[in-house]
Amino acid sequence: MLLPLLLRGCTAKHYIQQALSSTRLCVNCCNIRGLATSSVQLFLRRTPQRFLNQSRGAKTHKRKQSQEDDWKKKNKTVLTYIAAAGVGMIGMSYAAVPLYRLYCQATGLGGTAVAGHGTEQVETMKPIRERIIKVTFNADTHASMQWNFRPQQSEIYVVPGETALAFYKAKNPTGKPVIGISTYNVVPFDAGQYFNKIQCFCFEEQRLNPHEEVDMPVFFYIDPEFDEDPRMARVDNIILSYTFFEAKEGQQLPIPGYI
Amino acid sequence: MNFGTKTFRPRAPDKGAFPLDHFGECKSFKEIYMRCLRDNHFDNSCCRIESKEYLECRMDRQLMAKEPLEKLGFKDLEDSTEENETKYNLG
Repeated sequence: MLLPLLLRGCTAKHYIQQALSSTRLCVNCCNIRGLATSSVQLFLRRTPQRFLNQSRGAKTHKRKQSQEDDWKKKNKTVLTYIAAAGVGMIGMSYAAVPLYRLYCQATGLGGTAVAGHGTEQVETMKPIRERIIKVTFNADTHASMQWNFRPQQSEIYVVPGETALAFYKAKNPTGKPVIGISTYNVVPFDAGQYFNKIQCFCFEEQRLNPHEEVDMPVFFYIDPEFDEDPRMARVDNIILSYTFFEAKEGQQLPIPGYI
Repeated sequence: MNFGTKTFRPRAPDKGAFPLDHFGECKSFKEIYMRCLRDNHFDNSCCRIESKEYLECRMDRQLMAKEPLEKLGFKDLEDSTEENETKYNLG
């Protein structure tokens, strides 16, 4: 009975199975004959369960299963890495805003206020006598603003590193008090980063009583580094322009700059 | 609107805003300063003493925060007055 099995070329497990089945047959035969030998029973009992339970192709099925598990695990790790990278990118794009602001403040890129320039500079700066700059003054009001607002001098010749004082005059011709608020502009724009105002009348509400006229001073200086900037080499004229708007009672306007 | 063009960024003044001189207390100092400017063809360097006096007037009348004049860029004027005083005292 074993010979045809050999011819088919089965695996060893199959061998054992066939052997077991054959021994079972023998046992049955013996039982039929009434001779149930204990040795055969022992043999049956001693063979481990896995030999009895496995079927053909069980090993390949298990290999496939473990391979699939491996792939699943790899896929999972790759997916977690990609998800982490995505979240990291979103976080970086949020962090970039204050970081770029710090970078601009440190380098003064794009005309932003350079952090660290302050009162110490005013004390220690030396005027550069060779570079004379003409500062022209301009005054504007909003269309609905009734004040008469004008500069008291059309221009002033200053040098970088020296503080200068200029005056504007504002008159309220109406019969009721008017609150004004102003902003300023410097042309050329690049020169604006060198134009430092120590004190002026901008960005705060100024109240003028009926028929009142006041002098409004502007105390400023031009940064000495203006002379060293190659882009400012041909700039000899700076225009400072103030514009007054009417402010409503109790309105809070934000002061520009990174405070 | 062009996002690439450079825009002007207004900055708040270092020491804030001047309180308004409603009663014209320092108007005379201002007039002296303006006359000096007109006489000197609007050259700021010639009229620094007058501008210093205007600011001192403001400080005396509570129209400006009191500060040592060196911090306002008048260090050279302060030094020269000190030198003159010492010369006067010695001489």
